[in-house]
Amino acid sequence: MTHPLIQISGLEKTFSSDTGWFGKWRLPGRKGRGKTDQIFALNGVNLTIYQGETLCVVGETGCGKSTLARSIMGLDEPSAGEIHYLDQRIDHLNNRQRMLFRRRMQMVFQNPYASLNPRMTVYQTLSEPIAFHNPQLSRLDVDEQVETLLESVGISANSSDRYPHEFSGGQRQRISLARALSVEPEFIVADEPLSALDVSVQAQVLNLMMDKQEEYNLSYLFITHDLAVVEHFANRVAVMYLGRICELANTSTLFSAPKHPYTQALLSAIPRLDSTAADPIRLIGEVPTPTEKPIGCVFQARCPYANPRCYSETPDMTLQSDGSSVACHAIEEGRL
Amino acid sequence: MNLLSVEHLNVNFHFKKRELTALIDVSFNLKRGERIAIVGESGAGKSILGFSIVNLIGKPGYIQSGTIKLENKDITKMNLRQLQEIRGKRIAMIFQDPMMTLNPVITIGDQLVETIRSHTKINYKDAKNIAIEKLRNVQIASPERRFDQYPHELSGGMRQRVIIASVLLLNPDIIIADEPTTALDVTIQAEILQLLLAICRDNGVALILISHDLGVVSKVAERTLVMYAGQIVEEGPTLEIINDPQHPYTQGLLNALPQMALPGQRLNQIKGSMPSLAERPSGCAFHPRCPYATDKCRTQQPEFIYSGVSSVACFMVEDMLSEFSQDDEGSL
Repeated sequence: MTHPLIQISGLEKTFSSDTGWFGKWRLPGRKGRGKTDQIFALNGVNLTIYQGETLCVVGETGCGKSTLARSIMGLDEPSAGEIHYLDQRIDHLNNRQRMLFRRRMQMVFQNPYASLNPRMTVYQTLSEPIAFHNPQLSRLDVDEQVETLLESVGISANSSDRYPHEFSGGQRQRISLARALSVEPEFIVADEPLSALDVSVQAQVLNLMMDKQEEYNLSYLFITHDLAVVEHFANRVAVMYLGRICELANTSTLFSAPKHPYTQALLSAIPRLDSTAADPIRLIGEVPTPTEKPIGCVFQARCPYANPRCYSETPDMTLQSDGSSVACHAIEEGRL
Repeated sequence: MNLLSVEHLNVNFHFKKRELTALIDVSFNLKRGERIAIVGESGAGKSILGFSIVNLIGKPGYIQSGTIKLENKDITKMNLRQLQEIRGKRIAMIFQDPMMTLNPVITIGDQLVETIRSHTKINYKDAKNIAIEKLRNVQIASPERRFDQYPHELSGGMRQRVIIASVLLLNPDIIIADEPTTALDVTIQAEILQLLLAICRDNGVALILISHDLGVVSKVAERTLVMYAGQIVEEGPTLEIINDPQHPYTQGLLNALPQMALPGQRLNQIKGSMPSLAERPSGCAFHPRCPYATDKCRTQQPEFIYSGVSSVACFMVEDMLSEFSQDDEGSL
């Protein structure tokens, strides 16, 4: 592992429902304004992404993994905390300042049906960022780049005048990847890029992503809930729960020796092909919605090992002997 | 005796200018209390097959030929009144998205009671007791309180539990579950699968699980049917299909799973993608993507043949088997 590319420290994001006019409306028979609901999506995330690595973020619905991705890309402005790209701080940038970084970091979204403009041909979709970021290029140069780009993701160049609806899901996701690669970025955030695809097509897209990583020395932040993909693709894994990272480890370490009680439950729940696998660890209840700022450990309500300390004190990430970091009082105290 | 037997089922979609074939010559049997799975990628026709079993195919689709027999009564020839006797009472369905299945403006309790009372003559109070009992069976905590809640007040996993409870109300013989856990998180998925399995075992209910996830299938089903482009290409015991797949498509599907390759290595992809109904290839529908395709595969449709414990529709397997038996004769 080489230099840190992105450093995130103490990142917090709170969504408030009080932004719309409807919430401010006084309904007849109701006193005062409606109560503001707040969702605490990220509660102090610290994370470092190194150059050339694939970092996977896993977690269940509502754990804040997409918010983390969007905050890094500047699509959501963080409420607190800092994000550094190499040595520059990139949160709170205005659009003009951010432009420089848009070239260097790109995003691939979950749903290729929604993330490609249905009214633009593939050529238009791909040529726009190239021409915008390289104004010195002639029309012919742009054409040539679009052509090589399309060929490189396995789509024939003569279909460049077709519209997104004429392609299958896997092809569309490859076009999305081509669009992200068109500005030659160093870093790509992929938010569940495979979940809308079938198994055989998933393999095609995943292979393509690995090829491109080798070709351009890309770094990936890969967000997914599919742990089989993580095991195959990631160098390091961050497990998220309710807006906090609860375990961060090398992929092989995490899968062979998961430490945090949540990680253990999550891994045991994967439906594996071999029938010998043990029964999944049952968790009590489901992921709560973080409408209140969590006090203590975020996993307390579902954790079988929780004690009074877990309800009052927030566990810090502590380095373990095998190189993984875990935020858990039970492990720290040697109870687990 | 078979509880359900589907024979030579063909389902077509009729449009003004053309006729599209969604299911071609699908045949399978289901015994009482048996759990089978239908596996395939999107567009394989697995959901169409699920809907056809209860004759829920809406226009422009229709059952072109074939029979679906539920204990010797042909579902394809029933009128609406007869179908209503079967739907829910004999064969119940669970769909992928629990939020779409539940009515958002009616409380859970009223929906459950309505289901019971539309099929049996029973007063509200008794029906309510049955509903609460069933909610308890699917491990919903404090069912009396949940009874008066609306679907939006429950989480996704809880909603799917309510659906399973509603399916159990009329004690059906067969449950068809169409991707019941696809919309759920892994930890919740594991719980719902265990629940479904326990319910089928305890009550002797037969299950048809429709899924794209071979991991899920291996946990629940005893027998698996693999579908490709509207046809069943392989059928056999689930363990056999996972450990020793015969059809090149099943092999490809299993090999494409990330756990089948070494970490960091390229995955074994199947080239191309599932053909749409309008562009069905001639001969064996899988031949454009098949690494072993020959001229015969391009022109002729392979027959279903029995190989050991599973049945496969593939010329390559057929040839291998006939060579094998010739060798046997030679040595004798």
